[in-house]
Amino acid sequence: MSTKPPILEVRQITKSYPGVTALKDATLTLRPGEIRALLGENGAGKSTMIKIIGGLQAPTSGELHVNGAPVVFSGSLDSQNAGISVVSQEFRLVPQMTVAENIFLGHELTRGGLISRREQTERARELLDQLGLDISPGRRIDSLTVADQQLVEITRALSRDFQVLIMDEPTAALNEAEVQKLLAMVEKLRDRGAAILYVSHRLPEVLRLASTATVLRDGQVVADISMEGVQEPELVELMLGKALEAESRDSHERGWNPDDAAVLEVTDLRTAGISQPISFGVRPGQILGVAGLVGSGRAELLKAIFGAQRVQSGAVRVGDARVDTSSPAGAIGSGIFMLGEDRKAEGILPHLSVLENTVISEPQRGLFDPRRWVIGRREERKTFGELKEGLRIRVDRPERLIGALSGGNQQKVLFGRAVLTQCRVLLLNEPTRGVDVGAKAEIYQLIRKLAADGVAIVVSSSEAAELAAVSDDCLVLYAGAHLDTLPPELVTEDNIVAASLGQRITHSASLGAASTSEEVAN
Amino acid sequence: MTTQISADQRSADQRAALAQAADRAARTAAALERFGVFIPFVIVAVLGIILAPNFLSAANIGNVLVNAAILAIVAYGMTLVIALRGLDLSVGSIQALSAVVCATAVNQMGILPGIVVGLIVGALVGLVNGVLIAYLKVPAFVATLGTMGIARGAALVFTDGGSVLVENKDFGLFASGKLLGIPYPFLLAIAILAVMYIVLERTPFGRHVCAVGGRPDAASESGINVSRVTVVSFVIVGVCAGLAGLLLTSQLGFVDGTLGTGLELQIIAIAVLGGTSMLGGSGNMPGSLVAAVLLAMIASSLNLLNIPSFYQYLAVGVLLLFALSLDTLRRRIQRNRLMGA
Repeated sequence: MSTKPPILEVRQITKSYPGVTALKDATLTLRPGEIRALLGENGAGKSTMIKIIGGLQAPTSGELHVNGAPVVFSGSLDSQNAGISVVSQEFRLVPQMTVAENIFLGHELTRGGLISRREQTERARELLDQLGLDISPGRRIDSLTVADQQLVEITRALSRDFQVLIMDEPTAALNEAEVQKLLAMVEKLRDRGAAILYVSHRLPEVLRLASTATVLRDGQVVADISMEGVQEPELVELMLGKALEAESRDSHERGWNPDDAAVLEVTDLRTAGISQPISFGVRPGQILGVAGLVGSGRAELLKAIFGAQRVQSGAVRVGDARVDTSSPAGAIGSGIFMLGEDRKAEGILPHLSVLENTVISEPQRGLFDPRRWVIGRREERKTFGELKEGLRIRVDRPERLIGALSGGNQQKVLFGRAVLTQCRVLLLNEPTRGVDVGAKAEIYQLIRKLAADGVAIVVSSSEAAELAAVSDDCLVLYAGAHLDTLPPELVTEDNIVAASLGQRITHSASLGAASTSEEVAN
Repeated sequence: MTTQISADQRSADQRAALAQAADRAARTAAALERFGVFIPFVIVAVLGIILAPNFLSAANIGNVLVNAAILAIVAYGMTLVIALRGLDLSVGSIQALSAVVCATAVNQMGILPGIVVGLIVGALVGLVNGVLIAYLKVPAFVATLGTMGIARGAALVFTDGGSVLVENKDFGLFASGKLLGIPYPFLLAIAILAVMYIVLERTPFGRHVCAVGGRPDAASESGINVSRVTVVSFVIVGVCAGLAGLLLTSQLGFVDGTLGTGLELQIIAIAVLGGTSMLGGSGNMPGSLVAAVLLAMIASSLNLLNIPSFYQYLAVGVLLLFALSLDTLRRRIQRNRLMGA
């Protein structure tokens, strides 16, 4: 453990908003050569802490010290000048500009007042090489995948001179290989003497990297511990304030009847990212997992079924009716609903209230029903009240803006939207991204409850543990093709990881299992 | 083991194929953005040559180039503020105010003071726009709608509703003079194009404009002074409109407070036709010059064909909608192809 004097000290910082105290008397120190984990459920105050350190928000009271001297940041530039570099969870990249331009935005490399493109490109390439990335510095950001954008965001933070590096969920969009590369990079930075504050919901990463941890709960520091000998359950307990109920797989019991006809039928579907035609069916009450690495076509498959991405060939049917996949409206009309991976961009309407966000996709009423034209406030509130109970949405009043809610609660509101559309097929892409441990379990329960009500559910996720926890069968995609379908008894974390990496599981398994998989595939 | 290797191989191949498809899509979209303006340009040029008598006469070409130059200079400024995700509706009024003030100043103080005063007028209105938008947080649309009325009113009040005749005939040389057969204003438009192109693409300021227009939060968190970038951009478009007012004064020799009515529509159409997306974050300066020539050609063709000038408004409106659809189409191509690559 590092014994050098602290480079960054957060001293008894309090941050209050009208009606809420986001941080209370929070204290944190960071020494050179130290990786400290900042842990806590969503809404515990981690983001506020990061914003204050990054100079984006001023604390209500308390002090920041850098190298022992008090500092006041009135903007992100001050924080950067003090040697603090932040990798934010939400990308701060300009989509219309190139990778190199984004990396050097705000501190361009100039020669005689003009930007030296060659120099910037070369420097950018060096930095990208350091991380082992194969991204061309001349590409525009909006032509990159989410994973590549995240890597560019990290590269950008590394391009500045820093002593302190704050990383907020840096691996959220990365695949396993990229995560490993990144973790190795972080360790290298630590060995060079950087002080690193690492924020992540992925506890294995935290356990590998961090030597110390600060745990926040409800805006207060509840633990400041050394990570030596600490195990995952202890961390979860500290974050939640209680032990987590074991998330066991309920004996692979199918909640659906194998004699039922599939409600969602996908035949020979091809789309950008899926080069081999894919066919499968989902029965009412069945939860079908979709596994695959980034680039396997996992997200694209769901988008295509939902009509958010062009279907090149093949058909999607709900019941016996062919779905119009030219737009999401067609899919919704056929009873398909999707909750996408990027809640902020595809899901929530941040300027509207929780209530409005919930009821926005409610099915249209008849032409002559006055309620189609004038929204009945009281009725909406009643619907919302019922949903709030059922979904366990934590919000004091329905008029609160949805942007003020934690990620887990926002996701629950979106589930409410799905429930109100009375969809027969629900597509979920990364349903728990950015959601904390406690809310995750609740969302799994919600998914099962919806399935028990007879909804056919497709869950796509990059977390093998999640798929193992929630899905009945699991479809595995590999490099744009359907590699395998794991029957319920083979849906385990290890199998999913192995299959995602290109190993066929069902071949080596018993014949019975293989035939089950065929059955599902057809 | 072998299956895994071949699977890896396949994965690598497919990733490469996807990356190639993405690159192709990006190039197609970029080409539309950069050269889309040439489609209507060629159509109008061919139609003009076939249908309009004297379309290729030296007088007409000179006339088209001068008109195009005046439009282009304003359009450069508009391109800059659209890249900033802003809009300036006051350009027509600035042009008129600058023109009447300049004409009066030329008469009373001489040519050089007239030019200086005209440019200052443009800069001042631009400064007011910029401060309203950057510091008082008035949306650009509303702020410039307000100054559009104010500047127009000021121009009418200044001339008392009448017109001003420029007495110094030398002042007309700025618009009528030629070098190697090319009118001065067009040479000026090309010179300013070079400057504006470099400013937008190669200076930190220009990149900051695009960053603010592309993602304001990302820009401010990168340490960019968003307010200052905004004010400077609106001053630049004000100066551009002021300069266009001077050239118009020189061309006409006789100005009044109603000059440049409806100019904002034409200028926005030019910028968008030229390949600048209304979403902000990028700007196409050369495209603006080409689109300005296109609009000037349309005006002169209609003129030569004795079609009433009212139809010009119609044509400009149609072109604006065409350009906006093209902009959407361009983005859709890119999105469809890139999805999942």
